[in-house]
Amino acid sequence: MTPILTPARQRTLLALAGALVVMNLASFGFGEAPLETLGRIWAGTWGTPYGIGQVLFKAIPLLFTGVAFGVALRAGLFNIGSEGQLAMASLAAGFFASKLGAGLPWVVALPLVVAVAALVGGAFAAIAGAMRAKLGVHEIITSIMLNRSADVFLPWALAVGLSVDGVRTAPVAEGARVPPLERWFPSFTGSAASLAFPTAVIVAFAVHAWTRRSRIGRELEWVGQAATVCEAQGIDVARRRMQAMVLSGAIGGLTMMGTVLGYKGYYELGLGAGAGFSGIAVAMLGRGGPVQLTLAALLFGTLAQAGIAINARVPRDAMGVIEAVVILLMGAAAFASSQDEVKSPVPANRKETAG
Amino acid sequence: MVDAIAPRIELVGVSRRFGERLAVERMDLVLEPGRIHALIGENGAGKSTALKMVAGLVAPSEGSVRIGGEPLASVTPRAAMDRGVGMVHQHFMLVEPFTALENLILGVEPVHESAWSKLPLLGPLLFGGRLDLDAARTKARALASDAGLAVNLDARVSDLAVGEKQRLEILRVLYRGAKAILLDEPTAVLSPLEVTELYATLRRLAERGHTIAVVTHRLDEVVRFADDVTTMRRGVKVHAEKLDADARERATETIQRLTRAMMGGDVPETSRRPPIPADAAAVLELQSVHVAGVGSRCLTDVNLTLRSGEVVGVAGIEGNGQRELETVLAGLVRAESGAIRLDGAALFTDGGDKAAMVRDARARGLVVVLDDRHHDEMILDATVSDNLVVGDLGAGGLATSSAVATDEAAVSSRRFERFAVEPRDPGRRGRELSGGNQQKVVMARALDRNIRALVLGQPTRGVDVGTAHVIHEAVGDLAATGAAVLVLSADLNELRALSHRIVVLSEGRIVAELPPSATDEAIGRAMLGVTEDGEAAA
Amino acid sequence: MRLLSLTTVAETLRMAAPYACAAVAGVWAERAGVIQIGLEAVLLSSAFASVATAIASGSMVLGVIAGIATGVALSALHAYLVDKTRIDAVVSGIAWNLLAYSASRLALRALYDSASNSPSIEGFRFGPTGNEGWQVLLRVLCDPVNWLALLAIVASPVILERTRLGLRIRAVGENPTAARAAGIDVGRTRLAALAISGAIGALGGVHLAFDQHRFESGMSAGRGFIALAAVVLSGWLPGRAALACIAFAFLEALQFVLQDIGQASKAVTLAQILPYAAALVALGVGVGRRSAPGGLGRHAEG
Repeated sequence: MTPILTPARQRTLLALAGALVVMNLASFGFGEAPLETLGRIWAGTWGTPYGIGQVLFKAIPLLFTGVAFGVALRAGLFNIGSEGQLAMASLAAGFFASKLGAGLPWVVALPLVVAVAALVGGAFAAIAGAMRAKLGVHEIITSIMLNRSADVFLPWALAVGLSVDGVRTAPVAEGARVPPLERWFPSFTGSAASLAFPTAVIVAFAVHAWTRRSRIGRELEWVGQAATVCEAQGIDVARRRMQAMVLSGAIGGLTMMGTVLGYKGYYELGLGAGAGFSGIAVAMLGRGGPVQLTLAALLFGTLAQAGIAINARVPRDAMGVIEAVVILLMGAAAFASSQDEVKSPVPANRKETAG
Repeated sequence: MVDAIAPRIELVGVSRRFGERLAVERMDLVLEPGRIHALIGENGAGKSTALKMVAGLVAPSEGSVRIGGEPLASVTPRAAMDRGVGMVHQHFMLVEPFTALENLILGVEPVHESAWSKLPLLGPLLFGGRLDLDAARTKARALASDAGLAVNLDARVSDLAVGEKQRLEILRVLYRGAKAILLDEPTAVLSPLEVTELYATLRRLAERGHTIAVVTHRLDEVVRFADDVTTMRRGVKVHAEKLDADARERATETIQRLTRAMMGGDVPETSRRPPIPADAAAVLELQSVHVAGVGSRCLTDVNLTLRSGEVVGVAGIEGNGQRELETVLAGLVRAESGAIRLDGAALFTDGGDKAAMVRDARARGLVVVLDDRHHDEMILDATVSDNLVVGDLGAGGLATSSAVATDEAAVSSRRFERFAVEPRDPGRRGRELSGGNQQKVVMARALDRNIRALVLGQPTRGVDVGTAHVIHEAVGDLAATGAAVLVLSADLNELRALSHRIVVLSEGRIVAELPPSATDEAIGRAMLGVTEDGEAAA
Repeated sequence: MRLLSLTTVAETLRMAAPYACAAVAGVWAERAGVIQIGLEAVLLSSAFASVATAIASGSMVLGVIAGIATGVALSALHAYLVDKTRIDAVVSGIAWNLLAYSASRLALRALYDSASNSPSIEGFRFGPTGNEGWQVLLRVLCDPVNWLALLAIVASPVILERTRLGLRIRAVGENPTAARAAGIDVGRTRLAALAISGAIGALGGVHLAFDQHRFESGMSAGRGFIALAAVVLSGWLPGRAALACIAFAFLEALQFVLQDIGQASKAVTLAQILPYAAALVALGVGVGRRSAPGGLGRHAEG
């Protein structure tokens, strides 16, 4: 009979505990009584419909980047380039959407814009992917170089003409906007939650099913586990790695859907900063499957919203600390529960094909 | 140069558990100084584990290891080394980019003592002693000449031949003052001549008072060279005897007795090779094939023709072109020049990518099972059912659409049952299976197709006798259908049992072709490149 | 600033120090087999610690020591976690970077009530004042932190190749299984290597902060990542890694030259891509394609 506290649940509890401890320490440091803080956190997150909506909104980018990182990781690749991929994709999509005719119906506009986002994200990731697949250059370094390159490119691109005022694009066409949830659920009025959230959840489930059932998905996993065996058995390792990176980039490209096409309605410099790295924490915590992944995204979304609920006295940087601690705890706990049914996503001593 | 007699080494009531599996069960073993003790048993019997416990590499779950009557306090390689026990592993524990000398001294490096290194804290850290390579070299040379071990100390280990690497490992153990030397399957990679040299060295050392223990499954060597024999089966000691002159005289009888102890019964006989019809067509042809490589790891002007129904064995010292032969036939490596033909049609002619070449060859009926199971054939972290279909997934679409799903389940099940993989659960991970069962998975997958030519690299390495027998039978069955089989193996007995003829690879060339009745000496000479007129190849 | 001037040389050398320290730190870690992505964390945390200590104690020397101690502690903790909990070193490195970035900003807020800068510190101001080329160069050459960095960089290959500790570190990095069979404690050796790595990397962070005479949020600005590229490009050799860093520093200095030429042209801001683009091209072309240490990212087996 399986114990109530399976290793996977132990890890989740550990993460929660770690997060709570850090929050408390932080709130102490800023002169707040913890109980008061907790009360405000509750009211601002799961205690009210508005709060729930905000949590969902904050969870959207985390879910997308979490899925993106997980897909690449399955193939044994570390796609740390999500930051750059999502930024480039968001700018491209935002700019493209702002140029669409106002009267274009959403059945045409929305898929088009989403396609542009996925394409640009995938293409940007393909650079790192190609360098790894064809030249054997490790994707960690190239991804980071590309992230920083995007950091330089974006302000320049906005400055030279893609924007209206130097920092943001023109508003996106009506047809390309993602409808907010309040349209169907009046209790969510005022919150930024939109259809982007259920979309993200569907993407998580779809990707999970696809990687487990399709030929490409299964071969991706085998490549991540033992690339040399796959090569000897006639699987095109380079191609699969490339596909993994491109898919990861494409999904990452959708990250700011809820913001650029939803809440804000335009792309602004700096949108989504940090989502790429948070996605790593989400992916680590949500290793068990799409349900676990969604819950992990909701957890971090709650933490992010909680930060705002306490009036930014415990600022964004506390979030960064919490995420880092969670990553470390999750990574360390993975070893402790080595008898787990969910094996570590990064097999120890994984061998690489030369080149 | 060597001290007085080595201490007595004992395993007292020792058991070792790995998860659910009991690898060694309540074993008592005594290793006497001055004698060569052979620990025999088939693959998976627990003999390596028992030896590793003596060497301090594996801690016993129960019982104790005693050296000179004193139990080993902590079970670490360092502790065992301090008590004079040294181990020569089956897979050499050498740092390839380092020189032989650097490997020799690793862990016991002589240093120039200086005032700097005496500084508190930072001293040892930053000035952890400048290496005194000259002192090391002097000591090593003396030891080497004394023990009769020739090793080029300043060569990079990656450049050394297998036999020399092994000599280095023995020297390493002596350098640390080992009185007891343990060797795990030392002769698996040696040519017959080198085997004789090795045992001569071991005998010299034993005569000086060292304790020698060898784990092996080569009974012919045991009967020739060992003093004491302990037999293990399924983790339990089942038989022990001292070999006297009489037992050596009646070698065949002794070997039979030991075999029965090892197996718990008689070994099944492999059925006879079917004769090849005189007009059999050529199935697989290699014509002037050149593959570039480093040193002897290459192929130079290889010409080989396999006819329908023929089994050809390839013998050779490891690192003389075997891997290159396997990989060029698999399509993983491109031949610089020359042609490879299957049933008359040329293979690997498109400049296509590697994966396409591999699949194309397989589809045409040339199937290669590579020698390094974990590197090339078996995904340890994947399930058995996944491993059974790696590389065979159909083009496009979800594998759960009804037709394809049924196909995969049927295929997977058929392959699983073919050689009766144990444990009977296809959901187990590859790493949970024994070597023999892993090989069953690999072979079942490879054989489940239309084969015109099969290439097997070390097919029964690390495999229990029962499975080895099953694999040999499968080879015979396949040849009977008209396919050709090429077997590369370090086990000369295996080659003799299976092949119609044996070719010998040395430095990338085929230097001899011998009948299966050829002696070990004859094959051994060819392996070293000694040509007909007695001159060693340059 | 003109292209071929003494000022450019001086600025290149000055900017190269943090890159080079981080790169050599990376070499020390990876030659021991431990993947170290967390160089940014080492730079940032030691920069902050050195400034905070200098402000609190008034002593620059204490600041340097605190900075080094922080770098050592962080790197050693990384090695310890990787060895004992088998956490993936890449994931751990990313976490450290995140942690250092956020924690330093939090501390900045908590200690100095600022979102971006700490109060200024004296730092080390030796040598002539003034902006003439030779004056800048002399100041750079008189900087004690520069000297320490140079010492560390020059001593590294000697220690690695000629000492017992160096041999063991390299052994553990090439084949941890073999090293363990030789009786070496792999975990402890890697810990020592990372401690050295942390100390040298910390010198880079201290240099950054003392050079600017204060701590600025996120002041490492990706240098730790460029250093990683330098490690790979140099084939894990400390001397060559330092040279690669001088090349990168030159590219950074080039931006200022271009600024002077291009005035306020927007295209000039694009020039900031230069170091990253150069790294990508160099990596792609396969400059110095020596392979990584055989045991990188691996633990002793069996």
